Amino acid sequence: MSAPVLTEQAIPPVAPATTKRSSWYAYLRQPTVALSVLVLLVMVLMAVFAPLIADEPSGAGPDVLQPPSGAHWFGTDDLGQDIFAQVVWGTRTSLVIGLAASLIAIVLGTAIGLAAAYFRPIDAVATVITDVMLALPTLPLMIMLAAVVSPSVGTLTLIIGFFAWPEVARLIRSQGLVISAMPYIDGARVLGASGWRIVTREILPAVVSLMIVSVLLTASRAVISEAGLSFLGLGDPDAWSWGRILLNAQRSGTIAIAWWQTLFPSLAILLLVLAATLAGLRFNDTRDPRRNGG
Amino acid sequence: MKKTVKGRWRLAVALGVVATLGVSGCGLNEDNSSSSGSSDTVLRIGTTTDVSNFNPLQSLSKTDSWILNAMYPHLLRIDENAQKAPELAKEYRYEDDGKTAVFELRDDFKWTDGQPVVAEDVKFSAEKIMEYKLGNVAAKLTWVESIEAPDATTVKFKLSQPYAPFAEGVGFWMSIVPKHVFEKAGDLSKFPNDSNWVGAGPFVLDSMTKGQRYVMKRNEHYPLAPEGKAAVSQVEYRVYPDVNTMMLALRNGDIDLMGTPVPVSAAKTFENDSKIKLAKVGALGFAHLTYNMKNKYLADQEVRQALSMSVDTKAIIDAVLQGDGQQMAGPISPIFAEYDNTEIQPYPFDPAAAKAKLAAAGYKDANNDGFFDELSFGVACDQSNANITRVVQLFRESAAKAGIKLENECVERNTFLTRTKNGEYDIDASQWGVFDNPMDQLRSTYLSSNPGGINYNLLESAEMDTLINDAAGTTDPEAFKAKIKNLDKVVHEQAYLTPLYVENFQFAYNASKFTGFAPSPSDLLGMVTAYSLAQVTPVK
Repeated sequence: MSAPVLTEQAIPPVAPATTKRSSWYAYLRQPTVALSVLVLLVMVLMAVFAPLIADEPSGAGPDVLQPPSGAHWFGTDDLGQDIFAQVVWGTRTSLVIGLAASLIAIVLGTAIGLAAAYFRPIDAVATVITDVMLALPTLPLMIMLAAVVSPSVGTLTLIIGFFAWPEVARLIRSQGLVISAMPYIDGARVLGASGWRIVTREILPAVVSLMIVSVLLTASRAVISEAGLSFLGLGDPDAWSWGRILLNAQRSGTIAIAWWQTLFPSLAILLLVLAATLAGLRFNDTRDPRRNGG
Repeated sequence: MKKTVKGRWRLAVALGVVATLGVSGCGLNEDNSSSSGSSDTVLRIGTTTDVSNFNPLQSLSKTDSWILNAMYPHLLRIDENAQKAPELAKEYRYEDDGKTAVFELRDDFKWTDGQPVVAEDVKFSAEKIMEYKLGNVAAKLTWVESIEAPDATTVKFKLSQPYAPFAEGVGFWMSIVPKHVFEKAGDLSKFPNDSNWVGAGPFVLDSMTKGQRYVMKRNEHYPLAPEGKAAVSQVEYRVYPDVNTMMLALRNGDIDLMGTPVPVSAAKTFENDSKIKLAKVGALGFAHLTYNMKNKYLADQEVRQALSMSVDTKAIIDAVLQGDGQQMAGPISPIFAEYDNTEIQPYPFDPAAAKAKLAAAGYKDANNDGFFDELSFGVACDQSNANITRVVQLFRESAAKAGIKLENECVERNTFLTRTKNGEYDIDASQWGVFDNPMDQLRSTYLSSNPGGINYNLLESAEMDTLINDAAGTTDPEAFKAKIKNLDKVVHEQAYLTPLYVENFQFAYNASKFTGFAPSPSDLLGMVTAYSLAQVTPVK
């Protein structure tokens, strides 16, 4: 039971408990971070409470291709459906796929990255696989896979998650390599800790902050992937998504005359991705011991 | 099962490749230099994709046919009223109680290498199609026992049995190719015909740059043009994969005519543009929901009728087509006025009555979720078809009110085509492009032997086979019409399909530069038939 004690004294990236609160405060006090987190919060609220904000877009209405107005904040499409409602409901799909896919990528990536960092024989194989996966042109591959399986939110999540893990694995592995060379890991080994225990109890906590950053970055990439696939007609045809709104505009030839049909879903994608990326990067900065002087 | 999975993978790989190439191929249309000097006599037309097969006997693609039909003449054409009109053939008649079809050809058509177009060319084209089973014409030549060309302007097709629309079908669909050029090629099923073109239409391909343009030069002898040759000296097809880009190109003056119709929702684009005019034509096909009879529940007539009652075709026409379309009752389009059975009425839109009908037929909702327990179907459609995807969206919502659960299975186009081919769907929502006569339509959509490959019902009904074959062999025109009308009624009562609408197509062109187009119905023919292009004159 002495290993955890050693850990707390030796791991630089994990801040001591007493300063945790103030570091969160410092993190949130940065204007960019505050704004980003606010945007993310609003998006999450919109996704959760979508049915309260707007009715699910359905049927056809008489107000076809109306520009933004008091009645239709974001205008209407060629069927007379409200774009605002589509964007709100699209937030659900985008966030669900973004988060779920990035969780898949994080779990896979962390497992592979840590295994590669600690167990030498695995490293050779895992690194090659990761490199191959990174070298693959992901978009065409995702298009292929999405064309083979029936498109649904579930399958899209799996596909996007499966193609997003290599970046995570590489990040986690490089951090893991640094950690596993530290004296306290040697100490744990000398004390007789098993490989499993060292990886899960000693190395994993040291890369948690990196994982949080990865979740945000991977999620924003997943959102873009989902929008891209939906735009290419490979999305879930029953679920509203930002990519699908763009696809509808492109398919019905209204891009040139109905700017609102493309602007608002694009803005939503931009805001979400920007907010997630900024929040992630700043979080990484605040947790960086070199920057904070240890 | 294994086979289809493998097929899908192959398809998927192809898709991936196409996607990569597609991305790199975008935006190559900026180079406009070549046509700047004599732009007043060059007609530039927007097309959506590259020519996939230059062999006119084999190609089945719509966009290919725009270019190929301008090069290779047909015996008959379809005029603006959807009637057959003479093209290479002056006239046709039946002899020998309908067992011989005779075409009398014009004697003034010439191939671009100076040779006249003669009956031997027609005979050669038909025989090669039969020999190598080329394209969709092979099925239309099924009854041919022998072909004779007694002189340079007469062709006789000897049939094994009378088939009423034989001459119309073959006359309209079959491309005539130059025997003296094509016979050197040997196996025509492998002949690419991708260079040194010799044609007898108003324009013949001269050069091409893949992904960008197809340049066609005028044929100096084209008797169907007002002055013996087309007034336009060159036709250039330019590739715009995206309809938005093509519309912008037309507005900017980069092209003069859009080969593809303008989507209804986008017609407003040209509202305030005095130079651009829209020409409207009807359709030769229609949009439909077709039920897979291999599905245990869809094989039940009550279920199909209930589904037909859950589609609000009127609302669909109002919303999706902005009111610019016609309702249908049976499978025969109103464009074939003589054959359309006007006694039958479309199923009324009444989800509540549909629900009651299903309950009466014994379907139960045991788990009280608002849906009948067994009735859950997937509706397959092509994701790239804007109108049909909207229809499926609306159909899904209205069918839910009748207690039928539908799943939207609109997928990427090639996946959809593969699924359609393999019968992997419950309900097929799609659009039939061109039927040139109702008999061919009924044969290819309902015969068990599935000669046209579009029996999407996968129907195998001895009764329907008898009715269709009986009608096909009828030579008396009145009796023939009565039999087609009866079939129209039978299909309607059985509700093998729910016809959705016959739409109108709008083609946009730059009226400040060109005039005189002779549009024909359908988006296959439209403004770009050989005859139409030969009539175009530049505005002075």
